[in-house]
Amino acid sequence: MPKRVDRIVLDNSDVIIKNWLKIVSENRQNDYTSSISDELFQSTNREFVNVIFDSLASGGGLTKELESFSERLVNLGWPLSYLTDGLQTFRRVTIDFVLSQHDQIDTDFFSVILDRVDTWVDPIINKLVNEYSGSWEHTVSLQRVALQELSAPLIPVMRNITIMPLIGTIDTERAKQIMENLLTGVIKHNAEVVLIDITGVPVVDTMVAHHIIQAAEAVRLIGAKCILVGIRPEIAQTIVNLGIDLGKFPTKSSLRKGFETALELTGRTIQREKKQETIVEDIMNQLTEG
Amino acid sequence: MELKPCVNIRQEWDIVGARQLGREKAKELGFGTVDQARIATAISELARNIYLYAGIGKVYFEMVDHLGKKGLKIVAVDEGPGIRDLSQVMQDGYSTSGGLGAGLPGVKRLMDTFEINSEWGEGTEISAVKWVR
Amino acid sequence: MRIPILKLHNYLLISIQIDLDDQSAIQFQEDLLNKIYKSGATGVVIDLTSVDIIDSFIAKVLGDVVTMSDLMGAKVVLTGIQPAVAMTLIELGIHMQDVQTALDLEQGLIKLRQELEG
Ligand SMILES: Nc1ncnc2c1ncn2[C@@H]1O[C@H](COP(=O)(O)OP(=O)(O)O)[C@@H](O)[C@H]1O
Ligand SMILES: [Mg+2]
Repeated sequence: MPKRVDRIVLDNSDVIIKNWLKIVSENRQNDYTSSISDELFQSTNREFVNVIFDSLASGGGLTKELESFSERLVNLGWPLSYLTDGLQTFRRVTIDFVLSQHDQIDTDFFSVILDRVDTWVDPIINKLVNEYSGSWEHTVSLQRVALQELSAPLIPVMRNITIMPLIGTIDTERAKQIMENLLTGVIKHNAEVVLIDITGVPVVDTMVAHHIIQAAEAVRLIGAKCILVGIRPEIAQTIVNLGIDLGKFPTKSSLRKGFETALELTGRTIQREKKQETIVEDIMNQLTEG
Repeated sequence: MELKPCVNIRQEWDIVGARQLGREKAKELGFGTVDQARIATAISELARNIYLYAGIGKVYFEMVDHLGKKGLKIVAVDEGPGIRDLSQVMQDGYSTSGGLGAGLPGVKRLMDTFEINSEWGEGTEISAVKWVR
Repeated sequence: MRIPILKLHNYLLISIQIDLDDQSAIQFQEDLLNKIYKSGATGVVIDLTSVDIIDSFIAKVLGDVVTMSDLMGAKVVLTGIQPAVAMTLIELGIHMQDVQTALDLEQGLIKLRQELEG
């Protein structure tokens, strides 16, 4: 009996493919592939349904062609749902078609149809999902590394002054990474003053404060000074409410103020150029004197 | 059984020998410079405690593997006087010798795992593991 | 092993180049205090650039030598503490709060001059 189902499906592949293409194209409206050109979408659909039928013709399951096809789509960044939705649609279209070929169907034959189609489609979906999540996990682990590198950059802004902007949540692992970057960066840039900017740290609890204090103390040990900047009002409140003692470290509300302090600490002053009014005043004075 | 690298602690210089061997092992396992310093310092603390409080003992090293994670385990054993109150010696600043009292609590912070067994009058065994990141 | 102590005007310069064992550390403490006494030096720079480990014992000896020198009228600056060493000290819980530090020998001398000559 399963053979009969195979026969019907393969003999009528034209009709089934036509129905499938129609539904897949219709579904596209509410869809994720909108950034892909129509032409590419249509040709991909045709290729997709062809590899599905190739697989059926060879007895079902994942063929080399289907595998390389899905691999290519994954690498091109097509969503997994394109493949799974396509296969589900194939399941529905095929069952509908086989049923439409019979006026009367007993339950036995009905379950044979369902069974048969399931054994085509399910292994393929399983395999695809596995493949996808594999490549997804790979991406996540790559991103974790990238994030680690990105997580604590040290920016030398001027001779002897560097800034470390901290962004995001700080856990113990990251705190150690930050401290390492901070200290090696201080040595590398010969920094006398480091500004640690916590504007981008959403929550400063006792743990985070503890790590920041440790970092500042370590910076002092290697012979530089630390200024903590970007203390937002709510952070000032938590720091005091939690009883955290930041007493020994200079803190400033903004990076700008901290930077001015850093200039002072490295023996520099800000000189503004003469304002226009005073220049005009000078000229007037010279004229009246002359 | 695999022969574990081991340093006997009998005199002050052995402390330096132990931490140098430990650093070497750490380097071999692929630890970064900061972790090498953490491990060497922890060994120095444990070896010095043996020298100061037990007189003689030994420190050995073991490469450990857990779920594909590699690590270095250091074990410090002596048959000295032992420790009467374990929670007391784990407090920062507690010392019976006028030291800083930073050794044991410090080793616990420097390493990833820390275990101490001591029987009053029998001796002390401390083991600690650092995992390669 | 003895650690050499150099004299430069009113300053004493020390660069520690060996893996300090306890005996050498204590010997160094003694030698430095004697040198301060004999020379009347007012400033000391101890450079630790080549030191790759400072445990609680060495830290105590160094901290003590700073306090003792201060008692004898000489300011001490520690320079060149390596990042790995600094992190390890902090994790040990040793903060050396009363100790002056600088990035390197040169910065250390500048710091001393600023402190001593106002
Ligand atoms: N191996 C040991 N045997 C017996 N007592 C020990 C041993 N190690 C540590 N202790 C006890 O624990 C105390 C705390 O040790 P530690 O934290 O290393 O600080 P410190 O060595 O500076 O005193 C010691 O003063 C000593 O009384
Ligand atoms: Mg100790």
